[in-house]
Amino acid sequence: MKFIAAMVMMLGLILTAPLAWAADPVKIGVMAPVTGQWASEGQDMVNIVKLLAEEVNKNGGAGGHMIEIEVGDDGGDPKVASLAAQRLISSGVVAVIGTYGSAITEATQDIYADDDILQIGTGSTSIRLTEKGLPLFFRTCPRDDDQGKVMAREVAALGFKKAAILHDNSSYAKGLADEVRGIIKDSGVEEVFFDALTPGDRDYTTTLTKIKTKNPDVIIFTGYYPEAGMILRQKKEMGWDVAMIGGDATNNSALVDIAGNASAEGYYFISPPGPSDLTDPMSQAFLAEFRSRYNTEPSSVWSMMAGDAFKVLVAAVENVDKVSAESLAEYLHNDLKDFVGFTGPIAFNAKGDRVGDVYRLYQVDGEGRFVLGQ
Amino acid sequence: MAAKIKDINFLIRIPLTLAVIAFFCLPLMGLDPYGLGVLNQVGLYALLALSLNIILGHAGMFHMGHAAFFAVGAYTTAILNTGYGWPILATMPLAGLAAGLFALAVAAPIIHLRGDYLLVVTIGIVEIVRIALVNDIFGLTGGANGLVGIGRPVLFGFKLTRPHHFFYLIWGFTALSMLLFHWLEHSRFGRALNFIREDPVAAEGVGVNTSHYKLMAFVIGAVWAGFVGTIYASQMRTISPNSFNFWESVVLFTIVILGGSGNQKGVLLGAFLVVGLPEVSRGLQESRLLFFGAALIVMMIFRPQGLLPPKGRTYKLPSEVARS
Repeated sequence: MKFIAAMVMMLGLILTAPLAWAADPVKIGVMAPVTGQWASEGQDMVNIVKLLAEEVNKNGGAGGHMIEIEVGDDGGDPKVASLAAQRLISSGVVAVIGTYGSAITEATQDIYADDDILQIGTGSTSIRLTEKGLPLFFRTCPRDDDQGKVMAREVAALGFKKAAILHDNSSYAKGLADEVRGIIKDSGVEEVFFDALTPGDRDYTTTLTKIKTKNPDVIIFTGYYPEAGMILRQKKEMGWDVAMIGGDATNNSALVDIAGNASAEGYYFISPPGPSDLTDPMSQAFLAEFRSRYNTEPSSVWSMMAGDAFKVLVAAVENVDKVSAESLAEYLHNDLKDFVGFTGPIAFNAKGDRVGDVYRLYQVDGEGRFVLGQ
Repeated sequence: MAAKIKDINFLIRIPLTLAVIAFFCLPLMGLDPYGLGVLNQVGLYALLALSLNIILGHAGMFHMGHAAFFAVGAYTTAILNTGYGWPILATMPLAGLAAGLFALAVAAPIIHLRGDYLLVVTIGIVEIVRIALVNDIFGLTGGANGLVGIGRPVLFGFKLTRPHHFFYLIWGFTALSMLLFHWLEHSRFGRALNFIREDPVAAEGVGVNTSHYKLMAFVIGAVWAGFVGTIYASQMRTISPNSFNFWESVVLFTIVILGGSGNQKGVLLGAFLVVGLPEVSRGLQESRLLFFGAALIVMMIFRPQGLLPPKGRTYKLPSEVARS
C-alpha cells in the first residue's frame, strides 16, 4: 500500500510540476485614447507599455509569468471607453492601465469594479476618482490638489511674504487658487489679494494696477498660459518688477511666444517634469530605446506614468503568490514602498493615490527656456 | 390590422419571429459582456433614430439637432437623481416631459422653415444646448466636467447593473417603442404626417393643419429622445456635454437616411450598420472609418432611398393597390 501511495504521490508531482514552474501568463490591459483628440498621448502610452512588456518577457517574465498586453482604444470618449472596458474584461485581463482623461476614467471605474479588475489611472488627476473608496483603483499621476500643496510650499520656500492670488474662474483654476489660499495662511504668507480675471481679454493692466496698490511681492496665477503670457508682458510694460508663479497649465512654450523672452524671464511655474527632464539613468536608457524603436520622443509626462503603472504591476506580479486583482491591490496598497519609477519614487496610500511629490518647480531663463529648479 | 395580417406571407414572418426570439436569448447563450455592450449601444442609437424617424422620416423635416433633446432628457434625470435623490425610473416621465416642452418652445417659431433652412437652425439648437451645458447653466449641469454618480435603475426591487440587465431594458423598450410607433404610423396622425411630407400644399389645401402636425411630430420625437436620455444616463452613470455634440446628431441623421427613412426596420438596420459595424471592425483600427465612409458613399450613389425604404401604404380596395 505504501508503495502505491508513494507512486500516486510521485505521479501527482510529475503531473503538477510543469504547472508550478511554467506559471500562467498574466494579461494586462492598456486602455488608452489611441484615436481621437488625445491620440498622441494614447499611442505613446501603448508604445511605452508594449516596449516595457517586451523587455520583461525577454528576461523570463515577471516571477515566471509571461506578460500579455491587450490594447483597448477608448477614443477619448466615455461611450467608446465603456465598450473598451467591457472588451478588455471579456478578454480576461486581471489589471488595466489607463486612461488619460479623468471623465473617461470615471466612466469605466464602475465597470472594472463590478468585475473585480484592478485599474491604474495614468493621466486622470480629478480628485473625486479616488474619493469613492474603490479598493482596486490606483493612479500613478498626482491629484489636482497636490499641485496646490506644492505651489504653496514653494511660495513659502522662495521667501515670499505677501501674495496676490489671481485665477480665471474656470473650475481648474478656481480650485487650485482655493487650495493654495487655504495652505499659504499656515506657512506665514499673507494673502493681500484674491480675485479672478476674464480669460481671453487683451488688456490686464487695470487688474495689475489694482493688484499693485496692495503691494504684494509675488503674484500667484492659477490659470492658463495665454493669460499668464499677457500678464507677464503687461507687467513688464508697466515697469513693475514683481515675481510671478503659475501652475502646470502654463507649462507651454507658447507662454514665452506671447510674453517675449525679456518679460518671461524669471517666471516660476509648478509642473510635473517633462520626459526630457527625467535625467536618471533608468529613464535615460529607456528613452534612448524608445527613440531607437519609434523614432520619436514621448510627448508628455503622462504617458511615462503609464510606464510607471506597468512597472508597479510587474513588481506586484513578482511578489504575490497567486495573481489576482485582490492580491495585486493588497501588495500595491501595503508592500510597495519607494519603488523607483520613471517619474520618481512611487507608493500608494489607502485611497490608491500616489504618495510623494511629482510636481517640480520650473523657472524661465533669459532665452525663454524652462529650467528645472533645484 | 386583422385583414392585413392574413395577407402576410407566413413563410417570411416565421423566420423573422424566430430571429427576434433568438436575439432576445443572446445573453442566455453566453454572449460576452463586450458583445452585449455593443448591442446595448446599437439599441440606444436605434431608439434615438426611431424617435428621429417620426420627425425626419414621417414628417420629412430635416432635423439635425436631435442630440439636444437627448441631452435635455439625460440631464433632467441626472439632476433629479444626483441632486434630489429621485429613483431613476421615476425621472423618466419628467425627462420626456422636459425634452418635449423644450422641443415645443424651440420648434414653435421655426416650424414653418423648409428643408435646409430648418436643418441649419436645428444644428444651431444642438450647439446652443451643448454650450449652455458647458457653461453650467443655472448652476445645475456641472459645467464641462458634467454630472457624476448617477444611480442605477431599480425595476420591481431588482437593481440593473450588468450589461445583460441593460440589454433587456434597452431592447425591451425598443420593442415597445416600435409597437407604439407602428400604431402611430397607421393612425390618422401618421397618415397626416406622410401627406405633409409628400405635398404640404395639398395637405394644407384639404384642411390638414400642417404646422400643428409638424409641431406634434417634433414633440413626440423629443419626448422619446428624453426617455432614452434617462436610460443612457443611468447606464453610463456619468454624463458630460461632449456626449451630446453635433456629431451625435449627424450619426442619428445618417442612421435614418441610410436605413430608409420612414421604415422602422430600415432604421433598425441602419443602427446596426452605423453603430455596430465600426465596433465589430475595430481590428482595422484607424482605417475602419475610411472604409465606413467609402461604404456610405457607394450606398448613397446606388441606393439613395436607403437600404429598406418604406413599402408605401396598401389598402384593401378590390383588385387595386393605391400608393399614397
